[in-house]
Amino acid sequence: MKTASERYAALVRLVESRTVTRATPALLLPAGPYFDLAGEEFGRNLLLTTTNNGVEYCLRPDFTLPIAQQYLEEGLTGAPSAYTYLGPIFRQYQSTPVEFEQAGLELLGQADADNALDQVLTFARWALAIYDITAPNVRLGGVGLFEAFLEAAEIPVAWRSRIRHRFGHPEALERLMERLSNPEERAEAPAPDSRDTVIEIVTDAMLSGGLSLIGSRTPEEIADRYLEKQALESAPIPPETVALLQNYLSVAESTETAFERISEMCKQAGFDFDEPLYQVRNHAAALAALSPNADVIFDASFSPRLDYYTGIVFEMTGSDGEVLASGGEYDRMLERLGAGEPVKASGCALWVDRLEREAEQ
Amino acid sequence: MSTLPGGLTLAIPSKGRLEELTRKAFSTARMNIARPGGARSYVGSIKNQPQVTVRFYPAAEIARELILGGVDIGVTGSDLIHEASENGEENVLFVRGLGFGEANVVVAIPDSWIDVQQMTDLADVASDFRSRHGRWLRVATKYVNLTRRHFAKYGIAEYRIVESAGATESAPAAGSADLIVDITSTGSTLAANQLRVLEDGLIMKSEANLIVSRTADWTPLRKAQLEALLSIMGGVPPGISTLL
Repeated sequence: MKTASERYAALVRLVESRTVTRATPALLLPAGPYFDLAGEEFGRNLLLTTTNNGVEYCLRPDFTLPIAQQYLEEGLTGAPSAYTYLGPIFRQYQSTPVEFEQAGLELLGQADADNALDQVLTFARWALAIYDITAPNVRLGGVGLFEAFLEAAEIPVAWRSRIRHRFGHPEALERLMERLSNPEERAEAPAPDSRDTVIEIVTDAMLSGGLSLIGSRTPEEIADRYLEKQALESAPIPPETVALLQNYLSVAESTETAFERISEMCKQAGFDFDEPLYQVRNHAAALAALSPNADVIFDASFSPRLDYYTGIVFEMTGSDGEVLASGGEYDRMLERLGAGEPVKASGCALWVDRLEREAEQ
Repeated sequence: MSTLPGGLTLAIPSKGRLEELTRKAFSTARMNIARPGGARSYVGSIKNQPQVTVRFYPAAEIARELILGGVDIGVTGSDLIHEASENGEENVLFVRGLGFGEANVVVAIPDSWIDVQQMTDLADVASDFRSRHGRWLRVATKYVNLTRRHFAKYGIAEYRIVESAGATESAPAAGSADLIVDITSTGSTLAANQLRVLEDGLIMKSEANLIVSRTADWTPLRKAQLEALLSIMGGVPPGISTLL
């Protein structure tokens, strides 16, 4: 029987293994980049402090961002790098400050993205094994797969971005689905306004409201979206496509059954989706080989709320449903931080305090 | 805060129309609030109610004190309770509305955004705002918590809040924000600034409320004193203290 300190020592050994660099970002970090990357919704969980001249700092709320920033600052963009970390992070929930111990792995700029993701899954698996967790519940999701599905199902581009944007937010997505299934009845087709006329009307309204024409949304942008909305309302997505989309999003079952079901529904809708499914199938198989006792499901609607995730995402939960490990592929993050283009990235974060609680049970 | 075995602390807005109307509501119930020393003093009393200590605070501070249990009873806007803390409403008991200080907290956009009628439109606009303009969509408000909660409900994550202390309605024209979340009673200030409330942009209806703190230290004696005070106020069913 191992003790808590022996388990922690084993975790330190995993984090300091020879093939990786253990990163130790500062505890006090500028808050701006977190707001820039993740917006107000994540920002509400930061523990902030302000200098006398009004610059906001936060107690380190995660490791991924400072590690990725350092990678960019050192000019490593595109060079394969492997970082691990272990240490405290700080957040607030319901106005109560909380300190957690977090460990994790970040693989940046790896040439073989599939291999990198399997390494991340292996890392998470080993970390869980230290805490005697051999049969976690694993939930896989496919962000890239969903994007591919929207394209393959021939959903109009303008609707596609609206749907994609709500992916990972069940409430908002459900509201949109309702809107798609009950398109507004129009008494008569609207007289199509000319773009120039609409731009003129908007420009007048902006000027009389004292708004700058360039500082915020421009008259052209407003007019284009107005006309696009008119066009979308007069050309709703066919009901059978909406039904297919709903059917896809409802898939949440053990991986093989899930992939079969998706493949089947696509075939019935008249297109072949086996190629995009192939990659996620492989990772599911790798995961099954890693932990034969794990209960792995594929949940088609599962996605973190952050829009820089790109490929496969996962979550491992323990006996009481708390997330023990989560991660995935997020090729858009480094781009968002200023890399200029998407850079292959995958990683995971482990909640050490929860792992320890699980081990003690 | 109350270490004495008995006695109640009542917090009253310290200035303006809110103070005036609160004092009027209490004097209607034959409880005249005395403020010896006038507007500069922060402690007062109620005639014939020696067990009650009156404290004068700014309305937002009353909300915070009620949530933390620093005062026992207070009069403030319900919007301020919801704004003061993410779980503010769990820590207080709304006894009753007082029929004044009515106002709505709303999401308002420039009237010239003819393509935006509902929160879902705003979600679309927010989602690609950054790629178009190189910055987040900015919302000016003093209601940071209410805004975050309302936007999260509609799945809007891609925005930044610009905290505004006053004259929020001028932020879009001044270029410091793209839209606002603000309080409005008649809507005339919004209209004068050519701002329009979204069809589903009502975040909450607010009015001045008589509010009891759940987090204060409620001894049996103090509960009894609370019941007595509320029965004099009227319009409140007996037994409120059993909910504390």
